[in-house]
Amino acid sequence: MKQTRTSMLFRFLRGSRRWFAAALLLGLLRSLCAMLNPRIIQYTVDSIIGGQNAPLPGGVRRLLERAGGVPWLRQHLWTIALAVVALALLGALCRYGFLLCTALAGEGFVRSMRSQTFSHIQGLPFSWHMEHQTGDIIQRCTTDIETVKNFLSDQLSSLVNCAITLIAALAFMYGVSPRLTLVILLTQPILLAYSAFFRKKIAGQFQQCDENEGELSTIVQENLTGVRVVRAFGRENYEQARFDVQNEKVTAAWVKLGVWLTAFWESNGFLTGAQSLFVLAAGVTMVVHGSMTVGALLAMVSYNTLAGQPIRQLGRIISEMSKAGVSIDRLYDIMSAQEERDSEDALTPPMNGDICFEHVNFSYPNCPQTLYDIHFTVKAGTTLGILGGTGSGKSTLMHLLDRLYDLPADCGRITVGGVDIAAMRRDWVRSHVGMVLQEPMLFSQTLAENIAMGTKDATLSDIREAARIACLDSSVDRFAKGYDTMVGERGVTLSGGQKQRAAIARMLLQKAPIMVFDDSLSAVDAETDAAIRAALREQMAEATCIQISHRVSTLMHADQILVLDHGRIAEMGTHQQLLERNGLYRQIYDVQLSISEEAEAE
Amino acid sequence: MKEHNRLPFFGLGFVVPYWKQYRGLAVAMVLCGLLGSVTDAMFPLFQRYAVNHFVGGKTLDTMGIFFAAYLVTLLLRALLNGSSAYLTNKMEVSLDFSIRRDVFAHLQELSLSYYNQNGVGYIHARVISDVDRIGGLCSWMLMNLIWEGSYLLYIIVIMLTICPPLGALLLLLMPIEAVFCFYFQHRLTRLGRQVREANSKVTADYNEGITGARTIKTLVAEGEMERRFDADAGEMYRTSVHMGRYRGGLRAVIDLTANLGLALILWRGGGMALNGVLAIGTLSAFTVYAINMTGSVQEVAEVLESLINAQVNIERVHTLLSQQPDVVDTPEVIARYGTSLQPKRENWEPLCGDVEFRDVTFHYPDGEEIILSHFDLKVPQGASVAIVGETGAGKSTLVNLVCRFFEPTEGAVLIDGRDARERSQLWLHSSIGYVLQTPHLFSGTVLENLRYGNPEATMEEIELACRRVCADQVIARMEHGYDSQVGEGGEMLSTGEKQLLSFARAILSDPRILILDEATSSVDTLTEQIIQQAISEVTRGRTSFIIAHRLSTIRGADTILMVKDGQIVERGRHSELMKRRGAYFRLYMRQFERETADRLLDKE
Repeated sequence: MKQTRTSMLFRFLRGSRRWFAAALLLGLLRSLCAMLNPRIIQYTVDSIIGGQNAPLPGGVRRLLERAGGVPWLRQHLWTIALAVVALALLGALCRYGFLLCTALAGEGFVRSMRSQTFSHIQGLPFSWHMEHQTGDIIQRCTTDIETVKNFLSDQLSSLVNCAITLIAALAFMYGVSPRLTLVILLTQPILLAYSAFFRKKIAGQFQQCDENEGELSTIVQENLTGVRVVRAFGRENYEQARFDVQNEKVTAAWVKLGVWLTAFWESNGFLTGAQSLFVLAAGVTMVVHGSMTVGALLAMVSYNTLAGQPIRQLGRIISEMSKAGVSIDRLYDIMSAQEERDSEDALTPPMNGDICFEHVNFSYPNCPQTLYDIHFTVKAGTTLGILGGTGSGKSTLMHLLDRLYDLPADCGRITVGGVDIAAMRRDWVRSHVGMVLQEPMLFSQTLAENIAMGTKDATLSDIREAARIACLDSSVDRFAKGYDTMVGERGVTLSGGQKQRAAIARMLLQKAPIMVFDDSLSAVDAETDAAIRAALREQMAEATCIQISHRVSTLMHADQILVLDHGRIAEMGTHQQLLERNGLYRQIYDVQLSISEEAEAE
Repeated sequence: MKEHNRLPFFGLGFVVPYWKQYRGLAVAMVLCGLLGSVTDAMFPLFQRYAVNHFVGGKTLDTMGIFFAAYLVTLLLRALLNGSSAYLTNKMEVSLDFSIRRDVFAHLQELSLSYYNQNGVGYIHARVISDVDRIGGLCSWMLMNLIWEGSYLLYIIVIMLTICPPLGALLLLLMPIEAVFCFYFQHRLTRLGRQVREANSKVTADYNEGITGARTIKTLVAEGEMERRFDADAGEMYRTSVHMGRYRGGLRAVIDLTANLGLALILWRGGGMALNGVLAIGTLSAFTVYAINMTGSVQEVAEVLESLINAQVNIERVHTLLSQQPDVVDTPEVIARYGTSLQPKRENWEPLCGDVEFRDVTFHYPDGEEIILSHFDLKVPQGASVAIVGETGAGKSTLVNLVCRFFEPTEGAVLIDGRDARERSQLWLHSSIGYVLQTPHLFSGTVLENLRYGNPEATMEEIELACRRVCADQVIARMEHGYDSQVGEGGEMLSTGEKQLLSFARAILSDPRILILDEATSSVDTLTEQIIQQAISEVTRGRTSFIIAHRLSTIRGADTILMVKDGQIVERGRHSELMKRRGAYFRLYMRQFERETADRLLDKE
């Protein structure tokens, strides 16, 4: 589906839109509640205490007249207090509701952003993962999502809130004294421009501080990671001097920022204070001349205070806006990448047939060709051995078989049981091709969960059985918590060999009809290697096996062996045939197997 | 990670010596704060005067003086609060500066064992974020407490003076509000911690979901990963929304108390005004005080809460600073050889490079397991020792002992026939060259990095060194030659290039003892050859300890030590060990198989 930045944001917003609307409404209501207080003060001062006839909204006036008018109110002053408290309760409820709705909206939004990006990334093709840096993607998924969320739930809502408060305050002021309000209105743009000027200066200085602090942080980081180099070269002195210089720079930058900030706050405080003074003095003069009531003056002063706050915040919000824009773009880069998608009529045929590579040619994007005219068949139930060196293209073969990469048109085809795998559903292919990678990844969960990953409804005895075949059981027995041992970051670190064996167990549990061992016993010694292979042969007699290795002893018992050299099939045949051919295979065999004799001769 | 020491009084005692360093600053800052809040407390009084005097007396006669006095107070406020903010900021950065300097200096002295027990991330956080928190807390938070506290005190005094009954009424509201504020604030802090924990889980999920893409795809485990992720994201959602509830509660309580105060004033104060006991201006001043009071009470509650929470930060830094180095030079050694910051190089005898382990028994300070037991090894000047074994088998132990990063539990390491402890650490370190598996370069230029081990090296020496290890080709390829930036940790260079530069660096410092941790990563054949050549160039004529992976390096060593599970299981020359058919033989075979396949299949 083609989508734009806006449609991306709207999809993220699904489910949280009503909370945003509710928050907006409650924020408006709360502002109104707050705006009524000065009016109540005004009425109390003018009508009740001052005895003047101050205006009241129609409904309230009729109600008051029925109760007995202003004299009644003088006897029952608590009703005014009650009105204030009732209004306050409503206001407080709105405030509570506003903050709760903002949380629901913002957190709901960020949750759907996270889930959607995560699930999108899981669905992206493997090639995308190869082309992008892990750190950068994670940065986008955490920091950028947080920035967008902060903007939408904090800044945007306070922007709206500020605007509402400002407009409402000015409107109420206008209702009290149009002349005074107009004068105040004129000063607002000056305050805003003034604040914007300082913001810019301060933002620049902030950046300076950040950069300086980043550098200091780098120095510390390098000193800590390079501690052995520092000690071994005896350069503690130099390091300390380097640190001190930067430490002083950071301090100076912050002091400078402090000067700017203080100047801004205090001059701003002075200006708003001066404005209050103006309102007070002008108001008092008007009251003395009889063109304004005392209550109106007090209301004006309160409104002026209420209107002063949002102006200050607006400047900050505007400067944050550009940051959110950048973050949205960075997220959009991820979300606009095309997910893997199977066609509607993708097949799910039986996978226990022969595997055929038919004249396969392949190259990775922007790279020289990796595979040249690869053509071979693995009969169902037999074992194929692939012998190849680093970079010979053997792993690429398996990427293609597992459809981590798709073969472009005219580059040959790969079939299982006569059906082109390109026509099958990807998850179907992958779940029927069990694969053990050379450097397998285990996840930070228990060992049992790791082994059961990729298999639904595995019982503990299944897991134990798989671990036994993979020769992992004796290692597990040595862990205090056995199969419940946490693996990875928050648990024990497994050795390379243990990891490989765990990955083998994980693959065995899948009971896939096709099994691929991509150099997957490189970290265990030859004896364990042999033991595992013996157990495998016994258990998985009917599965089709592909063994990739640089170790002849691992491959020599395979039904068919293929020697891969620079992306081409150099030789193919059984162990015996290849030995008789006297080619590459023979050479490698001779060198590897004769080493022991050579060693004794030395 | 170590438990931190508990400190009394929120750990503030730790900061006292630092405050004392900036005594004048502290006094000025507090004074300005105490005076600044007075001016702020005054403004409602101006309003009171204006209403009572001008409006009440229907006159404008003192308007000029009023105007001037108001303006002067505004100016005073700007000056005093501005100064206090400036001074507080200065206090913050000064505290940051000196605490950070002390922590960093201490880290330079701490033994390597500390670095083995604590990850870089952990220590880094102590130097940067903990110090930041402490600096902020002991300046701004404290200033807020002083400012808001004194402001509260002033307005209480003013209220009780201008109208005692109304003042007393408002005063009653304070404790009620305070209790609520503390409650909410406390819950918010705890929830905040939970949110951070949930957040780190989500980040970890991203990490696994992205780095593990290949495994996940081959297992078709996308769905499972998404379920796990959604569970963690859901957890974070719930905690965050819960937090929103308490945040809403807190603001609602503050709003409510402010308006409750207003209601009380309109009710009781209004009554008093009707009876002519209270002037309108005074009434209006109270409406302002009622609102400001609630804000200040909330601030105080917030500051106190963060004070309690920052205790952890202080304790962690304190723990780091009170950590004693495991390896220290004796006073006699310092007297003769000097310290690492003030060395007495004139007293140093030259180091030849004979290394001997004499009856060494060793276990790491944090571990029980005996790693070496009555170990003897003589490495004459210029000889090489290859240490081999699986990743994580404990190959670096010997290196750590040679470098005196650790000291033997029993027995001694002899350098040139004398116990290493008889000479200073710097004396030894100045003669050691160290080339890491993942070579560590510092951000800066190529030249700065090359001179790291020998700041006085001339350009000719540098060029010669680079030529000897073929690093000159790397430098020639760079845009600014020797003045090119290498980036943070040398990120602008490939691992192979970094290795060559670090070889040149090692040669320049002309060490008598060389420690080399070979890289395991496979590089292309040509680079491999260059590096191989460079290694033999660097080790020539120096006593060298090599954590080796390349068969050619291993075969050429005078002694091979095979390490398994932290113990030295076999030692001898290559041919002897091969005959034994033990662990070394198996390891060698595996490596050999790989190298033959690579060599035969990739030959051009």
